[in-house]
Amino acid sequence: MDALHWIPAADLARMIAQKQVSPVEVVRAHLERITALDGKLKAFITVCADTALAAARAAEAAVMAGGPLGPLHGVPYGPKDLYATKGIKTTGGSTILADFVPDADATVVARLAAAGMLVLGKTNMHEFAYGPEGLNGHYGDAWNPWDAGTHRVAGGSSSGSGAAVAAGLCPAALGSDTGGSIRIPSSLCGITGIKPTYGRVSRSGVLPLAWSMDHCGPMARTARDCALMLGAMAGYDPADPSTSVLPVPDYTAALTGDVKGLRVGILRAHFTDVAAPEVRAAVEAAARALEQAGARLDDVNLEHVALVPAASFAVVGAEALAYHAGWLRTRNADYQPDVRERLKLGVLVSSNHYLRAQALRARVRQEVDAVLARRDVLLAPATPIPAPALGQKDARLGDGASDVRSALIRFTRPFNFSGHPAISLPCGFTPAGLPVGLQLVGRLFDEATVLRAADAYQRLTDWHTRRPEEMGGSGRPPSPPGA
Amino acid sequence: MLPHMEITLDTLKRLTRLAGFEWEDAELEALRPLAERSLDLLARLDAVDLGETEPATQYRVL
Repeated sequence: MDALHWIPAADLARMIAQKQVSPVEVVRAHLERITALDGKLKAFITVCADTALAAARAAEAAVMAGGPLGPLHGVPYGPKDLYATKGIKTTGGSTILADFVPDADATVVARLAAAGMLVLGKTNMHEFAYGPEGLNGHYGDAWNPWDAGTHRVAGGSSSGSGAAVAAGLCPAALGSDTGGSIRIPSSLCGITGIKPTYGRVSRSGVLPLAWSMDHCGPMARTARDCALMLGAMAGYDPADPSTSVLPVPDYTAALTGDVKGLRVGILRAHFTDVAAPEVRAAVEAAARALEQAGARLDDVNLEHVALVPAASFAVVGAEALAYHAGWLRTRNADYQPDVRERLKLGVLVSSNHYLRAQALRARVRQEVDAVLARRDVLLAPATPIPAPALGQKDARLGDGASDVRSALIRFTRPFNFSGHPAISLPCGFTPAGLPVGLQLVGRLFDEATVLRAADAYQRLTDWHTRRPEEMGGSGRPPSPPGA
Repeated sequence: MLPHMEITLDTLKRLTRLAGFEWEDAELEALRPLAERSLDLLARLDAVDLGETEPATQYRVL
């Protein structure tokens, strides 16, 4: 059997339910891993060793009592440190909230607890989720586990969640995604993470960056793990007026492994065609793998996508400034410099700009809906470049030079803007050994098809089973869990 | 290509005051090049023909 810290969440849940392993052993294995590696990785802001072990003992007792168990019973995970956790400090990656201890859980934290999951600790993040590199001047910059020699960013803003899952510090995590903050670290860290449709998952109890662009979602090793977690998290929440009343399907039932006849549109201009050559090669190969399994490919372009950066700046700039205005007046010096700078630029956004941006948003949503009326999913890289080194400022894309920040969010942000569900999953490695992320985008509220395609791809390939060698992995696929 | 937007320190200071903030001149001066790039970006929104499209202000999609 594999070491416990490399076993995916769905397999751990099955092994726990079948009494092959105790939740206490599982939690201890991950806590030992954190003790050994997190001094360097800085994936966690808070580790909840005592409460996690107490919860694991209770979970073990429930297994031994033989009662009904949740679908993820006894499996530990790490919520990003902007999810409210009752009795556990929730900093938002900032010293402004260094002493904030919520008196209630965020809706999704409560729902995952009901499904049996245990909070192992709170993961690191770009301060207040306002940055795609995942930098944090207060709690340390998360280290991408795929390069032990060079400090490369884990991607943000959910950097700790990406690094923790990739290095085997926890089998699953929660991220939040306003411009790509689940998919970017998933891409750069070689894990699987899904941003659901806007309104599919409650944001109640989650510190906002931009209310109309924020999405909550799971990050884990496999599409199956994400399906299990999303099924537990999703659904209407009276505490979040943006949540949909649509019923939540059984996402795991959609994982048939079958992509015969699946219509896949490859996003070309602005996306795949401008990615770094090694990223493009991996993503093109992934498309061919799906085609060989029976999917039908064609090329797609989105007319208005080039305007998304301007419109997103107007929306996120205005909404983020509105949320932070009070602290910018009273705690200005307590923000890390890049976040303070970005927040202040929000003063430039007029009501005219904001509403024109929201009108463009309607256009982009219609445009994505239109191309998805004739296709089941769209395909592109999740990020145009692999993990950049800490401090790297510039990137070279197929259509010219770009700053790293703009490059990282370029392929993901359009689907925060449109609200469509999108997943990132590993589809290869660069010659330097850095992961490449494949992005699949689906119709509104059709996460099931996105997960089906991702799961089918993971049955065809073993990229998602690779592990960073420096973190104790072999770089090779593991033996099947439970074998 | 739209003309480059320029903003003086004084204009930036007035703008931030109108928004209810009092920030140091040094901080605003450091922000000025970024502010100019951001204004260039926002100007692209002024240039796009949105026809009769209404802003997507309704939160709930379904």
